[in-house]
Amino acid sequence: MHTSNSQPVPSEKAPGPRSQAHRLRTVLLLAFGGLLALMIAAGVSALFSLRRLHVLEQQVSNRFVSHTRALSEVVISVHIYDDQLAKFLLDDQPAEPRDAGTQIAERAAKVHSAIQSYPSDGGPQEGRLLQKIEKSLSEQEGISSALLSLAPEDRKTRAPGFVHEQLLPRSLSILQVSQQIAYLNGEELAKSNQDLLTKFASLQARLKSMILAALAAGLLLSLLGTFYVLRLERQGRERYLALADSRQELEKLSTRLLDIQEQERRSIARELHDEVGQTLEALLIDLGRLSRLAAADQRAMREHIDRLKRLVENSVKTVRDIALLLRPSMLDDLGLIPALEWQAREVSRRGEMEVEVHSEMASEQLPDEIKICVYRLVQEALNNAAAHASAKNARVSLTQVAGKFQVEITDDGQGFDPRRVRGMGLLGMEERVKRLAGQLKIESRAGHGTRIVAELPLTMPKSP
Amino acid sequence: MRKTRILLADDHQLMRSGLRLVIERQPDLTVVGEAADGREAVALAKSLRPDVAVMDISMPNLNGIEAAYQITQIHSEVAVIMLSMHPDESYVLRTLKAGAKGYLLKDSAEADLITAVRAVAQGKSFFSPAVSKVLLDDYMRKLKRSGAEDPYDLLTPREREILQLVAEGKSNKEVANLLNLSVYTVETHRSNVMHKLNLKGVPELTLYAVRKGIIS
Repeated sequence: MHTSNSQPVPSEKAPGPRSQAHRLRTVLLLAFGGLLALMIAAGVSALFSLRRLHVLEQQVSNRFVSHTRALSEVVISVHIYDDQLAKFLLDDQPAEPRDAGTQIAERAAKVHSAIQSYPSDGGPQEGRLLQKIEKSLSEQEGISSALLSLAPEDRKTRAPGFVHEQLLPRSLSILQVSQQIAYLNGEELAKSNQDLLTKFASLQARLKSMILAALAAGLLLSLLGTFYVLRLERQGRERYLALADSRQELEKLSTRLLDIQEQERRSIARELHDEVGQTLEALLIDLGRLSRLAAADQRAMREHIDRLKRLVENSVKTVRDIALLLRPSMLDDLGLIPALEWQAREVSRRGEMEVEVHSEMASEQLPDEIKICVYRLVQEALNNAAAHASAKNARVSLTQVAGKFQVEITDDGQGFDPRRVRGMGLLGMEERVKRLAGQLKIESRAGHGTRIVAELPLTMPKSP
Repeated sequence: MRKTRILLADDHQLMRSGLRLVIERQPDLTVVGEAADGREAVALAKSLRPDVAVMDISMPNLNGIEAAYQITQIHSEVAVIMLSMHPDESYVLRTLKAGAKGYLLKDSAEADLITAVRAVAQGKSFFSPAVSKVLLDDYMRKLKRSGAEDPYDLLTPREREILQLVAEGKSNKEVANLLNLSVYTVETHRSNVMHKLNLKGVPELTLYAVRKGIIS
């Protein structure tokens, strides 16, 4: 209804519901946003780490493969060179030394190029070992070129010795060195693998801790959220209860006010009618007698008395009207429907508006509260129709169906917008109907008249 | 000559004494009792058997209408005059239905009381002139609005005669004697009047007659 603007503010200190909702929203946004960011960060960093590890592993394995291949290149070329050399030296029918020389030189160049093409990214130890191979090779070359320049017979006699004493040991040492290099390579690979494993483990640990942190944060957040929501709910419930309480108090108060008002009106009307009114009536009778007692020739005195009579008559009328307005004695004397008919005729007599009363009542036996309520409703509605809506015709109908009493007042006046116009009169009607657990409907549109329907339950008629 | 015996019922001492003064000035009238509420009025009417009871309409305990009803139920010979402040149809009709013979406005009580008492004592009705004026005004306004004609114009002279006599309180037999007609004919005329005027019962008929100024 229309009571939203009259709600009492529960406390000055408490934040308004709007700012509280705002705060709650901010808190929720921050909390869930933070949690989400944390999880995304963990995921992204894990992804990057895994990728880096993968690249690193590939590098390691590439390096090992290329080193191994280069080394075997070197070893094979050394073998071929040695082979060639030994074959030339030990052959019974040696080829032309000049051809053999170029062939051997070619082999040697191949060995050099194999060593040259060995990847330079190895450690210093590897470099030293390679230099060792190169050195052995240069020595072999020096010896072999010296042998080549010898005469064939000479060479034939010296060759076996040379092969056994010079060439083979050097080849052996070259092989040993290359084995050392291979071992170094293997070690390097193992070390890299170890490294990778460590890195992977650290990534695992980091991920684990991140997941744990996210879980903890989520748990904390949900706990806080639950707590906060519960607190909000409790506050809301308390506030609602307080509001309902105060509303009930207000309703009680207004009911009480109406009761008091009705009682006051009744007693004032009684007082006016009984004391003032009756005294005036008696005065009127006495004045009449006085006028008759006065001698016929005392015209001035008679006129005086007549003027007094007229004054008293006016006062009687005024007092009666006021008393009727305050508390219609008709209700007590005649009952509801004659009282309403009287009211309708009063309005008609004033010439403002024609009022018809229709009644389909089974009995006039109605509780006093209902009579007063209906009477005042009709009074207010007719007053409004005549005074504010300048209606020309109005109709009051009363029906009683299935434990319900219904009064309907329609007029052909200007009408109004019931959602915007809330005069004291309408509020009073609502109040009266509500306290009898009834329902009030007000239908009106500008230019289409007004229809007011009140339905009052007839159960539990109070003892008279 | 036997004096007309009167019972006064009003919850106001001042009012009663005023009325008593007016009545006692007349040699043929006497006040035999005073009641302060409706219950007392009924009791006194029972014990004193007055000719006329002048009764205020609003009284504590039992209001005037109820008291009038109880009195005329038990002792139909007691003629009740109702004192009221309201010149209104609802009151007049209820009063007539309660069996009262007169309806006197308090404004004019002093001037009309004696006339009223004498009229009802003779079995006639009495209504304050102001009442018939208000009733007629209301009636004419209603007719004008509904656009209907006054059904009084539909009555024959004989029917008008009978309407007046019945409204004055005469029985069918009395009317028949007065007009030299059979009771049966009077009965027929009377029901025709009721039908034409759309009235139910003697009280409504009397009210109508008051309104039209046929009786007062």
